[in-house]
Amino acid sequence: MDIALERYSRQMRFYGVGEAGQKKLLDARVTLCGCGALGTVLANALVRAGVGRLRLIDRDFIETSNLQRQVLFDEHDVAEGLPKAEAAARKLGAINSAVHVEPVVVDIDRTNILELVGDADLILDGSDNFEVRYLINDAAVKLNKPWVYGGCIGSHGQTMTILPGETPCLRCVFEAAPAPGEAGTCETAGVLGPIVNVVASYQASEAIKILVGRRDKVSRELLYFDMWENEQRRIKVAPLLGKVDCPCCQHRRFEWLDGEHGSQTTSLCGRNAVQVSHRTASRLNFEDMARQLEHMGEVHYNRFLLKFNAENCEFTVFPDGRAIIKGTDDVDRARTLYAKYVGH
Amino acid sequence: MTIKIQIPTPMRQHADGKTTVEVAGATVQAALADLSAKYPAIAERVFKDGKVRQFINVYLNNEDIRYLDSLATPVKDGDELAIIPAVAGG
Repeated sequence: MDIALERYSRQMRFYGVGEAGQKKLLDARVTLCGCGALGTVLANALVRAGVGRLRLIDRDFIETSNLQRQVLFDEHDVAEGLPKAEAAARKLGAINSAVHVEPVVVDIDRTNILELVGDADLILDGSDNFEVRYLINDAAVKLNKPWVYGGCIGSHGQTMTILPGETPCLRCVFEAAPAPGEAGTCETAGVLGPIVNVVASYQASEAIKILVGRRDKVSRELLYFDMWENEQRRIKVAPLLGKVDCPCCQHRRFEWLDGEHGSQTTSLCGRNAVQVSHRTASRLNFEDMARQLEHMGEVHYNRFLLKFNAENCEFTVFPDGRAIIKGTDDVDRARTLYAKYVGH
Repeated sequence: MTIKIQIPTPMRQHADGKTTVEVAGATVQAALADLSAKYPAIAERVFKDGKVRQFINVYLNNEDIRYLDSLATPVKDGDELAIIPAVAGG
């Protein structure tokens, strides 16, 4: 056996993959949107399975409270203050150096998503909010690419695979996203590590089926699990295709891509924090910023982010001008604080 | 006639902590109305202007009522309704 294939010998021995399937995996390109709880489990599974190229997108940095469930991170990563995508890429490189992992530290939005997923054979959802999921859905339907939705909170979660044109899309199943405060958050409900692994492992299995060319094996149901209440459900969603008057997959109106929905300011699930995005023409100069802010107290920065405290809030500023303001869930206050301390 | 309704986890606190509630009614609408009468706090969270909120789905025996007859779908003794909101975290 080819030495490069030896590491996949057990996977190739499995009848559903074989050497032909493995070669398809090795040639495949995947874009993973989000590298938190679901995302780290997904990235780990795909890199070990030998997917050829993995683009890993995440806007966030690692905190101690992530370690309970975000399997690629450790205490050193927290101490270094690394962005999730960078730390994950480093860990994944040690797991399987043959996979080309491309970390991208940006906030996924309507201006960049088509480029981020344009060359992918498959899009995976490791995000924590519906704004990104509806953007993925619009992009996937528009570009006719398969994607796999996953979500979890508390002890329950759900997943569904979308094959544009063949199965209902996310908007067929969930017409709209819950407004802030309408659904539980990670803060009110918390999240158990095992449900993350269950949902992401189903997503990863679906990914492998699609990438080895076995769409016939893909689940056509919305799967639901609750690990604490011992519930599992397989919900038949296939008849929704064409039955609901879906703006996205029936009328090809891409409202999220077109900016009819979504915002530049996002309250972050369970974090008592708000993200403010502000596009800047050039990257922020952290050295200058740190000097301007030093009268307020300690300012820390590395090449990925700058941190300081003001008005009982913790600011984390990224080079593209984006900031996460922790200590408030009031988007208006966050906008004000942003303007006051970060500027523009 | 007894219909079981599965209460979504985040709303169980408004149904005395119950996982399922038994209700009566001949249609999905009637069954949900009975649930709303028993637990008004759940009705507030499931409905908006008399319609099921857009991020919540109602499944009858694991089938989406939107491709059945929506709220007018008839139900029979022993049927199970599940109220399942979209899950955002991850």
